[in-house]
Amino acid sequence: MREGDAPAIRLKGVSKRFGLGNLALADIDLEIAKGEFVFLTGPSGSGKSTLLRLLFCAERPTSGEISVDEMNIGTLSGAQIPLLRRKIGVIFQDFKLLNNYTVFENVALALEVIGLRPDQVKKRVKQVIEGVGLGTKLNRKAVQLSGGEQQRVAIARAVVNRPPIILADEPTGNLDNKRTEEVMLLMEELNARGATILFATHDERLYQNTHRRVVRLEDGKLEAAQ
Amino acid sequence: MIISISLRRALADIRQHFPTQIMTTMVVSLSLLILTFFCLFSINLQHFVERFGNELGVVVFLKQGIPQERIPILYQKITGLKGVEAVKYVSPEEAFKRLQSYLKDEREVLEGVDPRFLPPSFEIQVNRAVFNLARIKQVAGEIEQWPEVSKVQYGREWIDRLEAFSGIVRKIVAISGLLLMLTAAFVVANTIKLTVYARQEELEILRLVGATNSFIQGPFLIEAFLQGLAGSGIALSIVFGTYAYLEKMLGASSMFKNFELSFLPWQYVAAIISSSVILCVMGTALAMRRFLRL
Ligand SMILES: Nc1ncnc2c1ncn2[C@@H]1O[C@H](COP(=O)(O)OP(=O)(O)OP(=O)(O)O)[C@@H](O)[C@H]1O
Ligand SMILES: [Mg+2]
Repeated sequence: MREGDAPAIRLKGVSKRFGLGNLALADIDLEIAKGEFVFLTGPSGSGKSTLLRLLFCAERPTSGEISVDEMNIGTLSGAQIPLLRRKIGVIFQDFKLLNNYTVFENVALALEVIGLRPDQVKKRVKQVIEGVGLGTKLNRKAVQLSGGEQQRVAIARAVVNRPPIILADEPTGNLDNKRTEEVMLLMEELNARGATILFATHDERLYQNTHRRVVRLEDGKLEAAQ
Repeated sequence: MIISISLRRALADIRQHFPTQIMTTMVVSLSLLILTFFCLFSINLQHFVERFGNELGVVVFLKQGIPQERIPILYQKITGLKGVEAVKYVSPEEAFKRLQSYLKDEREVLEGVDPRFLPPSFEIQVNRAVFNLARIKQVAGEIEQWPEVSKVQYGREWIDRLEAFSGIVRKIVAISGLLLMLTAAFVVANTIKLTVYARQEELEILRLVGATNSFIQGPFLIEAFLQGLAGSGIALSIVFGTYAYLEKMLGASSMFKNFELSFLPWQYVAAIISSSVILCVMGTALAMRRFLRL
């Protein structure tokens, strides 16, 4: 992290409790610098998705402070949430695609919401979909795709508006080795172009031979792993 | 910009969800149809009661042998009363003629009878807005005091009955109208709520990829506006068609010659259309609200 540069993501004493039940996240302190590529790992149910969801404001923390790209999540009003989300490309663990929309429409959505002109939308969407290897299935409906294909549509939608921050929640969970490698290459490329990436996975192979920082969640508590 | 985007998305959306849109429009128009028919019925019933009441006049019978020169003076006196719309003098000869035509084939019974044996009278038409039952009673009582007058007849039982009847009718109409309105609003609001809930996932996803609430709501509200407009338009067209048909039927039949139908006044038409549109748009906005928070 460069001196004096505000972090892209910063959590300070963040806890999240669902209802009266278990603590999904306990007192998390985490800073991720701009341009950094960080792996977030930990067993199933350890709170990885919950942490990501806090960052794009799908959940509110029970306590603690969160800032993303210098926006304080705690004081964000309902009208500001869309502005935050346009800076963050999220690859959802469960894809969150519109089933009755085509591949093209699903990806185009992320550009339409920011008011891009239709001709520009068309060009960029095609490019990105070809980039994830679905160029021949542009007009296929999302329900008619395999799990792996759906995951790649979700990836395309998350990156199509070139967000400065990418939150990837198990983006390779449904992919074979070849596709996984392609996705990792795509992530490296986006990171090289300046995007900050927080990559949640429990697949050790993805970060075993990397020089990247890896943080580990265990029962909602954070521990540096590598 | 946001409007043109919304319009474009609304069109695409209508195409994609066409069956649902048609269903909702049908529900709106059916709910309104019942209400609109009811309005047509109650307005015509009210007109009928009013017209019938207006035709009921007051008849002032004079004593036999009143000097002719007193007639115009009495005429003036009656015309001068507040709320009197028209006065007609019926001479004994005229009354005799009416009796003859009433008796038709049995008019021989009048043979040899003095054509002046019936008393002269005034037939008074009153303005029902001014003359309620109490006022008629009062005026009748006053006129009865005049020395030239033998009797005042004003269809007392009829007026009593009519008054009571139209009072009850007015209450029934008001209550059932209100219930029908509530039912229509309830059915429409719930149908809309269900169609919005069916698309809950879509709303959430739009929010998650950074859509503003107005971006998400725009097409939905445009669709709701069109549904409200089309639904009420269809209902009103069907009611108007029925009205025109009945009107033609009544005109052709001799039995109902005097029975005039009237369509809903434009204020009703405007109220039905605008409340339908408002109901659809508000219902949609309210149903969507809970999915647009996070
Ligand atoms: N909406 C919710 N309501 C209640 N509990 C929840 C909710 N979301 C998550 N949890 C709980 O929080 C804990 C962390 O869940 P989370 O989804 O963050 O785990 P994860 O690390 O992403 O797991 P996985 O690797 O299986 O995706 C779990 O115990 C889960 O049951
Ligand atoms: Mg998860």
